[in-house]
Amino acid sequence: MKFSHQWLQSYVSIAEEPARVGARLTAAGLPMDGIETRDGDAVYDFDIFTNRPDCMNHLGVAREYAALTEAPLRPPSVSIPAGGRPTREVASVSVEAPDLCARYAARCILGVRVGRSPDWLRRRLESIGQRAINSVVDATNFVLWELGHPLHPFDMDRLVGGRIIVRRARPGERLTTLDGVERTLTADMLVIADGTKAVALAGVMGGAASEIGASTTNVLLESAWFEPVPVRRAARALGLHTDASHRFERGADPEGVLTALDRAAQIIMEIAGGSVTTPALDVFPRPLPKRVIALRPARARALLGLNLDDGAMRGALEALGFAVAPGRDGVWSVGVPSFRRDVEREADLIEEVARHRGYDAIPERLPVLPVEGGERGALDATIRAARRVLQSAGLSEAINYAMVEREDCVLFAAGVTAPVALTNPLQANAAFLRTSLLPGLLRNLAHNLNHGLASVHLFEIGTVFLPGSPLPEETPRLAFVQAGRGVPMHWSLPRRDADLFDAKGVAELLGDLLGVSPLAFTSDRIAFLEEARALSVTSEGQVLGVVGEIRRSLLERFGIDRAVFGGEIELLELDRRQGTVRRYRPLPRYPPVRRDLAIVTGPGTTFQAIEGTIRKHSALPIAEVQAFDLYRGAGVPQGCASLAVQIVFQHPERTLLAQEVQESIEAITGALRRELRVKLRGAEPE
Amino acid sequence: MQSRVHEIRREFDRDLAGARDPEALERVRARYLGRRAGLLTGLLRDLREVPSAGRAAFGKAVNDLKAHVEEALEAAQARLVPGSAREAPIDLTLPGRVQRPGASHPITQVSALIEEIFLEMGYTLESGPEVETDFYNFEALNIPAHHPARDMQDTFYVEGGLLLRTHTSPVQIRTMQKRRPPVRMVALGRVFRRDSDITHSPVFHQVEGLVVAEGITFAHLKGTLAHFCRKVFGKGITIRLRPSYFPFVEPGAEYDISCIFCGGSGCSRCKGTGYIEMGGAGMVHPAVFEKVGYDPELFTGFAFGLGIERIAMLKHGIDDIRLFFENDLRFLSQFPG
Repeated sequence: MKFSHQWLQSYVSIAEEPARVGARLTAAGLPMDGIETRDGDAVYDFDIFTNRPDCMNHLGVAREYAALTEAPLRPPSVSIPAGGRPTREVASVSVEAPDLCARYAARCILGVRVGRSPDWLRRRLESIGQRAINSVVDATNFVLWELGHPLHPFDMDRLVGGRIIVRRARPGERLTTLDGVERTLTADMLVIADGTKAVALAGVMGGAASEIGASTTNVLLESAWFEPVPVRRAARALGLHTDASHRFERGADPEGVLTALDRAAQIIMEIAGGSVTTPALDVFPRPLPKRVIALRPARARALLGLNLDDGAMRGALEALGFAVAPGRDGVWSVGVPSFRRDVEREADLIEEVARHRGYDAIPERLPVLPVEGGERGALDATIRAARRVLQSAGLSEAINYAMVEREDCVLFAAGVTAPVALTNPLQANAAFLRTSLLPGLLRNLAHNLNHGLASVHLFEIGTVFLPGSPLPEETPRLAFVQAGRGVPMHWSLPRRDADLFDAKGVAELLGDLLGVSPLAFTSDRIAFLEEARALSVTSEGQVLGVVGEIRRSLLERFGIDRAVFGGEIELLELDRRQGTVRRYRPLPRYPPVRRDLAIVTGPGTTFQAIEGTIRKHSALPIAEVQAFDLYRGAGVPQGCASLAVQIVFQHPERTLLAQEVQESIEAITGALRRELRVKLRGAEPE
Repeated sequence: MQSRVHEIRREFDRDLAGARDPEALERVRARYLGRRAGLLTGLLRDLREVPSAGRAAFGKAVNDLKAHVEEALEAAQARLVPGSAREAPIDLTLPGRVQRPGASHPITQVSALIEEIFLEMGYTLESGPEVETDFYNFEALNIPAHHPARDMQDTFYVEGGLLLRTHTSPVQIRTMQKRRPPVRMVALGRVFRRDSDITHSPVFHQVEGLVVAEGITFAHLKGTLAHFCRKVFGKGITIRLRPSYFPFVEPGAEYDISCIFCGGSGCSRCKGTGYIEMGGAGMVHPAVFEKVGYDPELFTGFAFGLGIERIAMLKHGIDDIRLFFENDLRFLSQFPG
């Protein structure tokens, strides 16, 4: 909000540089956003908080400045010549909705000549970026920016019967406002009506029909106090936000009504001629009580942690316009000025004391509290561990918005047909809450591929939203995607593209490092994964998530033209199944014996079956069966592969003999040939 | 003939063992492989005269010897003559081999830093839902319906009368509802505002802090914020609190740190003020205590908030908040760890 330095000086002496004024007011709660020089004047831009409508005008800011510098405040002198025609002879006011309008005052200025305002007035308005319109309107705007009270001038001859009726709008009643828009009103809106129709939307905007124009000769000037919430509701409902509604909805000063009315009438008379009716009409159906608040100075010291003596505290409050009456038992009665409707309780007074003194005066201390807390929750620890695992697998972390397209929700979450919807999305393609982390990651993947990255490995840890009641079910998940070059990439390693086993490896590593055991992978049908390239990740029958190749037909949505692998895992399940303390197993005391087998496998023969057969038919204990090479090509029949497997025999109680290992190998190879119908290319020591 | 081969081999091994310098080595080489008088060269010449019946066996023996001699000379050469190893020299400028870990998101890194600072001070980490009710996001925080303060926070509404939380402050309420003082908590998480430009993202992350106990003062708030800001930005930082307005605190404040770019003398980054805005704070409003059933006469407390992106932007010199959500690897990989 803009304020002119010269204008402020009309009400208080300012000896300081504008920059210093800005700093002083900033420290007292009127933060300055900027300052500029215009025509020899400094124009401040202050950010006036919602609770300080009293500072949304020059006198209000001058009052703050005066309170801080102990300079006297010089409000404008307001006087209306006596002996004018009584207002009630030409106009009448009745308030039919006192719950919405606590006070309504009016005066008339008869016989005005509406024209261009004098230069001093135009300069004042223009200095703060307001546009001069005509003398009558400019006078009311001037008073708005001087005293802060919104006024409205009517062309009195357009008010049927010179009557003002403050009432609720009739349902469907129409009013064309000053901006030329015809508006349909509802019964909870307050209007100013004449004898027949609505002529203004109370506290928000006047009507076009009674607008002040060049032909206006008689003016009825309104100064009122409207209830804040209904003004706000009406303005919002009609999509209007005006200088008047901004102030009324924050709370105007009920005792400023007459002063503002008279000040404007006085200026109109000065600059547009005419005679002011007197006395004013002042309908005050619902007095707004003066607030008196109990303040305990000791409490203020305790809350602030500042040793401020009673005298200083009282001085601060009185400087700010509060009436302090010390009472017994160290409790003061503090009268709140009518323009400070934001001050409602003791804490508010304590803030007044603190801000007048300046928060810089308050010392820095650390609270001393019993030692407890300081711990992470279990899920938090799991999330951190999972993040480390994913990073160590070469994946980088993404963070995406939670808002996505409907299709993203439906395609990547089985059984979700009605995802959680926003009622006022910023964009149509971000109107639903995600049900999977994968669409966001796929978008990131496309972004990276489009920017020329050869290898994209990303993960995200975040919440998905599934329909639920009373709140949606927010489920923490991790997901990852991999495409392009596989990792690690190195000059010593052959180039290869990421494939399904990169994704599977990530899930396996998660299981291993988080101690989820046993972890099983089962071929499955998953809507968003390719057929025969989809695995469920389970532990003891409980599904933890899925890994596989993202269905190629879905990738078109994301503009991706190459294979993508990835997975999504439920973090709560991962957390629940996480191993607790790892138990030590004694180290083997006898050496292992390794034997390699080259097995020519036909279609349908799996490593899992081979391993099972080996373990089942070995007479000796097996520590490990490891696949270490898979070869297709010359020397291996079409459609088959040569799988190299290492068997590690290890006996807990003795050293194994070459002879018994050989016998075991023969039993195993025999079983493999017999049961799996595979060929063997010889069993050799490593 | 075979015995001759064995004899030469023995001699060679002896001669080579005696060669202690490059010159001696050359003499050994000439003695055995010299073009005219070399002993091995002679054997190869002799091969032609061997009757075809024994030629194959003899040939193999000579060739084996030749291979042995060449290999042994090569090895000796490598040992005695610097820089002569036949193994191709290793290019030490090639990069080493390791699986490089991926990067954690800078938001995660800053969050972890903040969490550690508060965990050290004995705070608990709390969390709450991202889809909230009007009660937790506004009502309980002393922002009733139609309060103008609602204008400060453009809200996304969710069907069913719900909303996306506009700040992490609802976690204050949820925590106070389930626990009695003393409470010392921080909540980090995602928040939503219906706003988007270079400095505003519809999704961003906040930290909410709350301490409630008997005898908590504004001075404690100030000390805590100063401690926190110094931990994040360095010991030399000073903080400044200014009066501000948030309906759920009273007295309310905004807090600034001395400019980390110019040290407080004024520069373009701090618009000449010497300070950089950090966040909002204040003493918990008694109306908030009343909402959660705490006696405001018995307990006092402070609360504070700040944006995690803002800290990350200041720390790393990032000028566009949208970079955090593009997840461009060229951006993410700048923050390994």
